[in-house]
Amino acid sequence: MIPLMVAFPLLFAFVIVILDTLRAKRTLIKAAFLLGVVLPAWVFLTERGREIVGGWNRAAGIEVGISEINAPFIAGELILFTVVALYSIPYFDFRNKKTPKSLALLLLLHAGLMGAFIAGDFFNFYIYMEIASVSAFALVAFSDEKGSKRAAFKYLILSLLASYLFVFAIGIIYMETGYLNVELVAENALPSRELQAALGIAFASLLLKAGVFPLHGWLPDAHSIAPTPVSAVLSGAVVKAPAYGMILLFSALPPRETFREAVMGLAVASVFFGIAGALLQKDAKRLLAYHTVSQMGYVLLGTASMNFVGAAYYAMAHSLFKGGLFLSVGSLGKKSRKLGEFGYRNAPLMAFSVLMLSLAIGGVSPLIGSYAKGVISSGLGGTWKWAVTAGTVGTLVSFTKLNYHLSKGETGDLAPIEKLSALVLALATLCAGLYLGAEPKLSDASYIFAAVLVFFALKFSGVLEREVRGEAKDVGKDVNVLVAVFVTFMLGVLLIQWP
Amino acid sequence: MLIGIYGLMAKREPIKLVLSINVVSLGLVLFFIGLAYSPEKDVPIMPTDPVDPLPATLMLTTLVVDVAITSLALAIILRMRRDGS
Repeated sequence: MIPLMVAFPLLFAFVIVILDTLRAKRTLIKAAFLLGVVLPAWVFLTERGREIVGGWNRAAGIEVGISEINAPFIAGELILFTVVALYSIPYFDFRNKKTPKSLALLLLLHAGLMGAFIAGDFFNFYIYMEIASVSAFALVAFSDEKGSKRAAFKYLILSLLASYLFVFAIGIIYMETGYLNVELVAENALPSRELQAALGIAFASLLLKAGVFPLHGWLPDAHSIAPTPVSAVLSGAVVKAPAYGMILLFSALPPRETFREAVMGLAVASVFFGIAGALLQKDAKRLLAYHTVSQMGYVLLGTASMNFVGAAYYAMAHSLFKGGLFLSVGSLGKKSRKLGEFGYRNAPLMAFSVLMLSLAIGGVSPLIGSYAKGVISSGLGGTWKWAVTAGTVGTLVSFTKLNYHLSKGETGDLAPIEKLSALVLALATLCAGLYLGAEPKLSDASYIFAAVLVFFALKFSGVLEREVRGEAKDVGKDVNVLVAVFVTFMLGVLLIQWP
Repeated sequence: MLIGIYGLMAKREPIKLVLSINVVSLGLVLFFIGLAYSPEKDVPIMPTDPVDPLPATLMLTTLVVDVAITSLALAIILRMRRDGS
C-alpha cells in the first residue's frame, strides 16, 4: 500500500483545516499534525517494491514504487520532516490565526514530496512536485519578515514557468513514445530530434526548480526569508524533488556524451559559484542558502555521470545536514541573522551540534557527507575527482567562516526543543555515516587544516569584507531578468544537442 | 506560449506577469488538445475507434493547478501592496 504514504499527510492536512474551522482544541490539531507526519514513515518501513494504483495495466495506470534509487530520498525527507515537525509546533506556537494554516500547508508539502519521490511516471511526478511547490510559495509568503512577499512572488512566477515548460516537454515525450511511465518510455524511445529537444527543455526547467547555478536567482531570497522550519524543509527537501525528476528523466532518455559532459561542467561551476557566493554573505541564512546552490551541484554531478545511487545518497545527506544547520542557525539568530552579532558561545550543546553539522557538510569522515561524496566521486573520471576534492576544501573554508563568527557571539534563551532538534540531526548524520560504513581518514584532517589556512588568508587580505548588493527594489525587473536568463539558458541547452 | 514568455521578459507590473503566466498555460493546454486532435475518430465512451483521451484529462489537471496558482499569485500581490513594497 505505497500510495498511503501520500494519502495520510493529505488526509490530515484537511483534518487540520476542518478542526481549525470548528475551533477544536489545540492538542487535537497538534495530534493530527504529528500523525500526518509520522504515518508515512510507518508505511515506508513496512512496504517495498513497485505497484500500480488500482491494479490497472501498466500503460494506463499510475505506477509508484520504492526502489534502491528513491529510498534514500524518502528516508532523508522523513527524518528531516519529523524533526522539523517537532520544531515547528513550539515555533509557530499558535501566536496568531496563521498557525493551523501553516501546519496544514506543511503537511501538504510533505504529501507533495512523498508523492514526487515515489512517482514512477512523469505526469504524476509533475503534479506532486507542483503540490509541494505551491505549499512552499504560500509558506514563504506567510513569513512576517519584510520582503517575504516579494521573494515568494519571484519564486512563484519562475517556478511556474519552469513547470509549464516541463509539462510541455512531457507532452512531446508522450507524442513521440505514447507513454508517460518512465520505464515504458525508456523501452520505447527511438532516438529523434523531438525527444532530444524534450530532454533539453525538461532538463532546463528542472534545473531552475532545483536552483542550480545559472538559474538560482530566486533561491537565496526565498530560502533565507522563510520562517526557520520552512527554510529547513525548503533547502533540505523541496529542491530534491526536481533532482529526483532529473534522475527519472535521464533514466528514461539517456543523454548523449557531449550533453552529459556539459552538464557535469555546469555542476562543477555550480559547486564553486555557491561557495564563492556563500563566502561573500553577511547574513547567516543567506550563506546557508548559497550552500544549497553549491550542494545541488554535487547532486547534479552524480546524476550527470549516470551514478543515480550516488546522487540519491548525496541528496539524503544534504537533507540531514542542511536541515540541521538551518534549524540551529535559525534558533541561534532569532534577533539578528547578521554574522558576528550572534553565536553559540554560551550554548555548548548547540556549538557541538553546529560543529558536527559543519564537518558533515564539508564531507569529513566518519559523518555521512564523506560517504556520499565517496559514492559520487567513485563514478567520476580522473580530472572530475579533483573538482570534488576542491569543493570539499571550499565548503570547509566557508564553514570555518560561519563557525568563526558564531564562536564570537552569544545567543539568548533557547527552548529545549531547539537544542534537541539540532542535536538529533547532527547525531543522525553521524549514525547514518557509521551505518553506511564511512571510516575515519587522515586526509580529512589536512583538508580542514588547508581550509582554516585559506580562511585566515582570505580574512587578512580583506576579500571577505566586501559586500555584494543584489537587492533590486522592483520585483518585476528581477523577474524579467531571471526569465531572460532562463530562456537563454534553455536555448543554449537545445543548441548543445545539435548534432 | 512564446507571447507569454515575452510578457514575462518585458513587463514589470506583477499583475501583467501573472497574466503572462496564464497565457503560457493556455498555450500549453492548446498544445495538448492539438496533440489528441483526430477528427475521424470516435468519442472515448464505449468506443470502437476512440480518440486518445489522455491529453485532455491531463489538461483538466493542469487547469486545476492554474486556478489555484493564479489565486495564490493574486493574493500575494495584494499582500505585497499592503507591505508597501
